[in-house]
Formats: sequence, C-alpha cells, structure tokens
Amino acid sequence: MNALNDIILPAFYSFIASIAFGIQFNIRFRHIIAAAVGGVISQVIFSAAELGGSSEALCYFLAACAISVYSEFLAKRLHVPVNMYLVVAIIPLVPGKMIYQAMITLVNGDTQGFAEQCTATFAAAGAIAMGVFAVSSIVRVFRVVINKKGI
Amino acid sequence: MTSKELLSVTSQVGMMLLENGAEIYRVEDSVVRIAEAYGYKQGERFEVFAIPPAIIITVEDENGTPLTTHRNTRTRVNNLDRVDRLNNLSRYICVEKPDFKTINNFISQIKKRKTYPFYAIVLSFAVVGATFALFFGGGWKESVAAGVIAAIISLIEQAVTKVRPSVFFNSLICSLFTAAAAVMCFYFGFTAEYDSVIIGAAMTLVPGITITNCMRDFIAGDFLAGVYTLIEALLTATGMAVGAAFAISTLTKLLGL
Repeated sequence: MNALNDIILPAFYSFIASIAFGIQFNIRFRHIIAAAVGGVISQVIFSAAELGGSSEALCYFLAACAISVYSEFLAKRLHVPVNMYLVVAIIPLVPGKMIYQAMITLVNGDTQGFAEQCTATFAAAGAIAMGVFAVSSIVRVFRVVINKKGI
Repeated sequence: MTSKELLSVTSQVGMMLLENGAEIYRVEDSVVRIAEAYGYKQGERFEVFAIPPAIIITVEDENGTPLTTHRNTRTRVNNLDRVDRLNNLSRYICVEKPDFKTINNFISQIKKRKTYPFYAIVLSFAVVGATFALFFGGGWKESVAAGVIAAIISLIEQAVTKVRPSVFFNSLICSLFTAAAAVMCFYFGFTAEYDSVIIGAAMTLVPGITITNCMRDFIAGDFLAGVYTLIEALLTATGMAVGAAFAISTLTKLLGL
C-alpha cells in the first residue's frame, strides 16, 4: 500500500479523463477545469474511504456526496447548470470494472458468481444515486426556504 | 409581447434545452420563469408539460382562447454549453424583459455557437480510453490499445448515429467492436490482457448525461421522465454488456484462448 498508487495516480487519471469528457459534452474550457477538479475530489474521497476500511457501498456514497456538494455549490456561485459539473465528476465513479466482471462471470457460465457480482454492482450504483439524492434533496429544501424568505 | 410570440419563444427555448441534454426540471422551470416575466402565471394562463421526447406548452391569449404547441425532439445531443447559454438567456429575460426580436436574435446566436472541432472529439475519446485503461489496472501497452480503439469507436458512433438506431443497437455495435478489437490485440500479442482494454475503451460509451438526468429527474419529482431516462440508461448498459459478451465468448472459442 502506498499513497502514489492508491490515491495520487487514480486521481490524476480521473482528472485527465474528466477533461476529455468535458470536451465530449462541449463544455467551455474554464468550466471543464472546474468539473475535472470535481472528478479528482470524488476519486480522492473514494480512495481515502477505501483505505480507511469502509465498505464498498459506503465509499461510493461518500464520494457521490462530495461531488454533489461541490457541484451544487459551484453551480450556485457561478450561475451555471449543476449538470455541467455533476455529469463530468460522476463518470470516474461509474463502477465499470464491476459491470465488466459481472458480464465475464456470466460468459463463463458461473450464474452464482454473476448474481453476486450483479448485487455488488447494483449496490454501488444505488450508493452513488443515494449520495446525489441526499445532497440534492437537502439543497432543494434550502432553496425553497430561501426563496420564500425572499433573500 | 403577445401570447403567440411568447408561445414561440418558450417552445424554442424549451425544445433546445431538451435536445441538448438538460433535465426536465430545468426545461419546465426556465419556460415558466420566462412566461412569468411577461405576466403569464403558471396555472392561470400558462402551462407546460415536458418529457424527454416532447414538450407541450399552452398559453391563454387576451380573450381567454387557449393556444397550444407541441414539439417532439428529433435529435438528442450532449451540448451542455448550449444549456448553460440558454440558462443565462432565461435569466436575462426575467430581469430585462426584452422584446420578441431581441430574444430571437439571442436564440439564433446561441444556435450558431461553435462546438469543439471533430478532431478534438476523436482525441478526447482516445484520451478517455487510454486513461481509463490505466485507471483500471492496465499497463502502457493496454492504454495505447484502448486509446486507439476508443478513437475508432468515436468514428463508428458518428457513422451509426446517422441511421438513427435505438440506444441499444448503438451501444451494442460499439461495444461489440471494442471487445473484438481488444481480444484481437491480445491474440496477436500486443497486450498482456484484454480486461482493462475493454473496460477503458467502453467507458467512452457510458451515458453520463442520461444517468445524471435520471437521478435529477427523480429528485425533482418528474417520475415519468425519470423512468424514461432510467430505461434509456439501462438499455445502453445492456447493449454494452451483450455486445462485449458476444464478442468475447465467440472470439475466445474461435481462437482457442
């Protein structure tokens, strides 16, 4: 276990990949950098939680919460749609490896392993969704309260 | 602004937001805000209903006669810059309340805004493939292979999109090619394994905007739109899995790996 392989390199890769994804979604360059920083944050939180011994679902949940807070905050400050940051930042979190492994176990005819992998994948996807849900719902409530007070 | 002009403006803005990847809440909210800026309150003289493939807007004119427009989205692209610009436009309309001609000017300006050139898109696909191959545990050889495959995927996607396939078919074709090319790379000894190549290159196919919009639709309470986008995302994922599974199982059997 060392910090370089477990935290810094994945964060660096997700930074580069997030920039590239920003170009695919046609986001302007200065927003791309901000969004890519979101991708880095999600990855660092994920790796840190993993090193700290959290369960996989909790890692995904925490990382999703972190990028959600980051995107909502930045979007509010810069007056841009939240999606612009959230879409890019969430992509490094997509559990690509788990989906792939589920598929491979099915190809090899191991139905029990497939069921296990599928459960793990859906747990991860659900945890990401729950993280975004939790933060965005709270933000929505705050927005309604603030609008009513007319601040 | 007359009610006919308002109808034209709101349907154009709503339609463009839908087509460029905004979530339903943003579409409805922008349109309602624009209408309210000109004194058409939602629920009294103005109503909007949007789902991902269509938007319906009704305005009551001065005599109480309802006018309705219904538009279907023809193409769906990922252009978040346009969403951002339209968002700014609706903000501007709410504050300044400009006349019809000015707004139309702004809308055509937004339509003309440049997108990233073709080579930048291809390059970005390659970079995504290469970095995610490293991310998922590949070496530099796997990374190069995934980058090249991802660049070719972007070309395939461009070609396939022209015949307007279903999302399932689109991702099936792309992922079939990805897996086949990755296994071939492995077979000819260029890469040490094909797992990270496939995952890395297939990450370019992940429907990021669809997934995010799905979550945000559910949060905002637009369940109809949420279910629509959820099914879209699931179909894309299924297409990816089926394509890759088919390619891997047939090729490894044929080549005796």
